[in-house]
Amino acid sequence: MEASRAVAVSIEHLSKTYPVPLARFKGFFRRSGKPPVEALRDVSLEVREGEIFGLIGPNGAGKTTLTKIIATLVQPTEGTVTVRGFDSVRDEERVRALIGLATAEERSFYWRLTALQNLLFFARLYGMEESASRRRIAELLNLFEFDEAMGRRRFGELSTGNKQRLAVARALLPKPPVLLLDEPTRSLDPLAAARLRSVISQLARLDPPVSVLLTSHNLSEVEELCDRVAIISQGVIRAVDTPRSLRARHKQTERVSLTLRGVGREAVEASLSSVVSDLEITEQPGAILAAFGREMNDDLLDKALKALAERGAEVLNVESERATLLDVLTAFQQEGEVKV
Amino acid sequence: MLRSIKLLLRRVWAFVVRDFQLMLSYRLQFFLRVLTILLMVTTLFFISRTFMGRSDCPCAESPFTQWRDPLAAWITGLAVLNYFMTGFSSLANAIRAEQTQGTLESVLLTPINVPTVVVASSAWDFVQATLFSFLYLFFGWLFYDVHFRGSYLLALLFLVLTTLVLACLGILSASFAMVFKRGDPFAVLLGTGSALFSGVFFPTQLLGAGFGTVSRILPPTYGLDGIRRVLIEGQGLAEVQEPLLTLMLFLAVLLPFSLWVFSRAIRRAKREGSLIQY
Repeated sequence: MEASRAVAVSIEHLSKTYPVPLARFKGFFRRSGKPPVEALRDVSLEVREGEIFGLIGPNGAGKTTLTKIIATLVQPTEGTVTVRGFDSVRDEERVRALIGLATAEERSFYWRLTALQNLLFFARLYGMEESASRRRIAELLNLFEFDEAMGRRRFGELSTGNKQRLAVARALLPKPPVLLLDEPTRSLDPLAAARLRSVISQLARLDPPVSVLLTSHNLSEVEELCDRVAIISQGVIRAVDTPRSLRARHKQTERVSLTLRGVGREAVEASLSSVVSDLEITEQPGAILAAFGREMNDDLLDKALKALAERGAEVLNVESERATLLDVLTAFQQEGEVKV
Repeated sequence: MLRSIKLLLRRVWAFVVRDFQLMLSYRLQFFLRVLTILLMVTTLFFISRTFMGRSDCPCAESPFTQWRDPLAAWITGLAVLNYFMTGFSSLANAIRAEQTQGTLESVLLTPINVPTVVVASSAWDFVQATLFSFLYLFFGWLFYDVHFRGSYLLALLFLVLTTLVLACLGILSASFAMVFKRGDPFAVLLGTGSALFSGVFFPTQLLGAGFGTVSRILPPTYGLDGIRRVLIEGQGLAEVQEPLLTLMLFLAVLLPFSLWVFSRAIRRAKREGSLIQY
């Protein structure tokens, strides 16, 4: 992603503390009430035009609050959010005209209306002309592979996957330059999730391109789709970078799995236990699987292979699994628990 | 300006179409409501006969001039009350209904502001209320020979004015629902209070001094009195100035106040992040 691309969403020093509703009133009757909840603290980041930007973090990290502030549904306590230069508090209606939000919340549709009626209703709220609405809906139904019969079915009768795709289609109705996707593939089967991911990846390539802010718990999805990723934990942005750089910044480790033949479990254990520390041995029909962790530039693998060769082991396969975003997220989360 | 009005109308139209489509998915409910109105008018007709059919019926000489034909007074009262309460409750419930359905978030994600949502999502209720209120009068005329006189335009003015005053109370109620979610005192006060104290079923003069005071602080009392004076007694503009001015005074005070409270409630709900919670 070129840093020179224009900024679609700019978030500067954003903080959000949810006050206790009617605190004074409640305080009159009770001595100690719940404290205010700090959801975001000094968050700053930018989403560039045509970028798919991932936001990952554990539950309660502040992802949804951040999305809702961008969507103008919640007001920040401090800081600003601008979408293509429009302030999310001062110019909220203009901002809403520039964004689409799709969540995994099925109740956000009218269940007794058909898919088509639902989309037409929202198109009218966007102020679209009747004929333009129908054309746009036809385009989107086509993009999301909805046939005519499916469009005429009541929303409540659609499958979870179709409901989810309809939510993304609705978010795209006014051709927004910025799309916020809050866990779009949650509760989808793998095939439906893959189809939706394919559509999301196409959005950034549209002309004009759509900037996507994607929050997800599915880290492989984030790795697959996102140009850059922010890791958020306890309301604080811990890191913003490309998935590759984040992995690289993380301690460079990998887990090596060796598939061996010609030796028994005891011999493998005897050969490797003095060389590696977290050895795991599994017996499989006709083979032994030995797995251990190592740092990227150490010589543990050479040493292990040498030791096994001395015992007469035949190495059938060597596989390595490098640090994923999950490892990175876990590390940042642990770091956050200590520091915050 | 013209573009803004066009946009507003398009959005109101969107809600009207949506609610009409939803109503079509509950057709039976609609027909049962029409049947209920017919049965209610019929019941009131027979109750009125218990007085009117007697040779010593005092109705004709009653000091309560609007009640000399009780059936006309009752169906006017019910038709108007139905409309008034729509003015109040549909605005009060607009946000609440979307909140509980879970659709408020998706509606508010479009470039529409909260006041427009409140007004637009009440539009269909007014269309329905107009039809149902008309049915009270229509069934009375068609089956039970109830005739009205006077200026329909003046009666309409009372209807619109009272509905606007009640809409202000509806906005206060919506503000209350936005902050407290449940336990709306306006609904209790107006819902149960109006039928009892505003003269829907009997003349307010019978309430006496104590309850009469309650009656006098309720806007529907003036609306109903004005409409009956026009439609039943045939009074003109000069004779109905008192209830008309009282309603205007209510509106002058309540409209800015309710809009101010509403804007505060929206700001508070957004700050607390509770706008879409229920």
